[in-house]
Amino acid sequence: MPDRAPPVPAHPAPSPGESLVIAVVDPSRARAAILEEGLRAVEGARVVVIPDTADLLDRLSALSPDVVVIHLESPSRDLLEQMFGVSRLVERPVAMFVDRSDAPMMQAAVDAGISAYIVDGLRAERIKPIIEIAILRFNAFARLQRELSEARSELADRKLIERAKGILMSAKGLTEDEAYKQLRRKAMNEKRKIVDIARAIVTAADLLG
Amino acid sequence: MRLQLGYVPLTDAAVLIAAVERGFTAAEGLEVDLVAEPSWATLRDHLALGLLDGAHMLAPLALACHLGLSGPQARLIAPAALARNGNAVTLSLPLWQALDAASDALPEVARALARVAEARLAEGRPLTLATVHPYSSHTYQWRRLLALGGSSLSAVRLVVVPPPRTVAALERGQIDGVCVGAPWSTVAVEAGVGRIAALGSAIAPDCPEKVLALPAEMEDRAAPLLRALRRAARWCGDAENREDLAALLGSPRHLGLDPALILRGLAGSLRLAPGGPLVEADDYLVLGERELTPDPAGIAWLVDEMTAAGQIEEGAAPAQAVGLYRPDLLAAA
Repeated sequence: MPDRAPPVPAHPAPSPGESLVIAVVDPSRARAAILEEGLRAVEGARVVVIPDTADLLDRLSALSPDVVVIHLESPSRDLLEQMFGVSRLVERPVAMFVDRSDAPMMQAAVDAGISAYIVDGLRAERIKPIIEIAILRFNAFARLQRELSEARSELADRKLIERAKGILMSAKGLTEDEAYKQLRRKAMNEKRKIVDIARAIVTAADLLG
Repeated sequence: MRLQLGYVPLTDAAVLIAAVERGFTAAEGLEVDLVAEPSWATLRDHLALGLLDGAHMLAPLALACHLGLSGPQARLIAPAALARNGNAVTLSLPLWQALDAASDALPEVARALARVAEARLAEGRPLTLATVHPYSSHTYQWRRLLALGGSSLSAVRLVVVPPPRTVAALERGQIDGVCVGAPWSTVAVEAGVGRIAALGSAIAPDCPEKVLALPAEMEDRAAPLLRALRRAARWCGDAENREDLAALLGSPRHLGLDPALILRGLAGSLRLAPGGPLVEADDYLVLGERELTPDPAGIAWLVDEMTAAGQIEEGAAPAQAVGLYRPDLLAAA
């Protein structure tokens, strides 16, 4: 924070190679694990995952980390702002994000859903890789999640089409191939997706059956 | 014009929520997406980095962001206030009993609280008191309450607890008290875990609370939104609409709470103690057209409080502080 009052004597920033404690706070355990694994690559870093629960404050106080990486959607962010904030009671003033002049990185971090709190005086070259790794890992997690949900819905669609085919086959005495062709023709004529036609058939069969 | 407007789900976001959900913004040709934010810090970052076009915001946080004291710096304007008062200090039942105040009168409660705070500090186990963000009127109301009784913030451990977690934190003894906006004090009393000890409207009457904060670039485009807010504020201030408003705020997409509890704050009829009688508190939380105009004196109040809380140095408030409040934009809309 460029224009803030000079802080109370902070801990000396660790030099490269010296141990650096990074706390990861995330309501999602899976995402926290992915991030933790990535951050282990940071030289001299000790990474500790802290669950985003009611005793967060006590656990963070006990750990006294140099960097806290926290998901942007965590309601606990305000708690960190007080803990590391501007109060006279604080021993280790913490700035938010990296270098405030690095606007693109700040934007990328927010887009990825990350915020980080960093002890004042920690050098930019120590912080940058941490934030970069966090951004990459968060984005990778989001992509995985999207792929997983797409795969799930694709599977559900396929099951629905199978059921609709089965219904047509037994109701109209069709082969599997003929049943599928009928579904496809209907979908084309009505400019709808095959899965929508299949859903209508299954729903109707459930009601009538 | 399409706008993304952020808010934190609290009763005093009512005017903004009603402006959108009761059609006042649509009548001005605005398409508004209301975005419920999980924390004030997230709301501030989204606003400062241009992901929001405006927000329901703690007035001190808007000033701190405007001055570059909190989060990414952004030039902001606050053309409207969204509510008057609305906070309350709620103590855990064990602390309330320990206070043993001579009466419910504010000076008595403050004296008793200060006495217990100093005693606990001397025992090496200071009281843990919760606020909602370092830059909040809640923080300053704690400071004033403790000072009124002869103590100070440095005698206690001040922590932040997100409002929806305050009830559980009181219940588990993680905090001894909280200063929080409506409806959370009522929720704590109703859950049987807290006693409202003092109202914000008594500790610091009519101090700056939530404002509509906009990026400064919105100045020329704010008029339709401000007109919609004025009509919404009038609607919210009409007692006939209170039940409808409470139901709207209580719905799952906003607060997700029993509308009856929200209604108490809106109607100024509060239960201070679990099982106790309802008490009239007209000024507890006031919504209405008159409350919309931000009082320029509020900036000086905020600067004084930030200084007293050690957030800025004596006499160090930058000149641009006065540029935050823009009642002229509201008047011209």
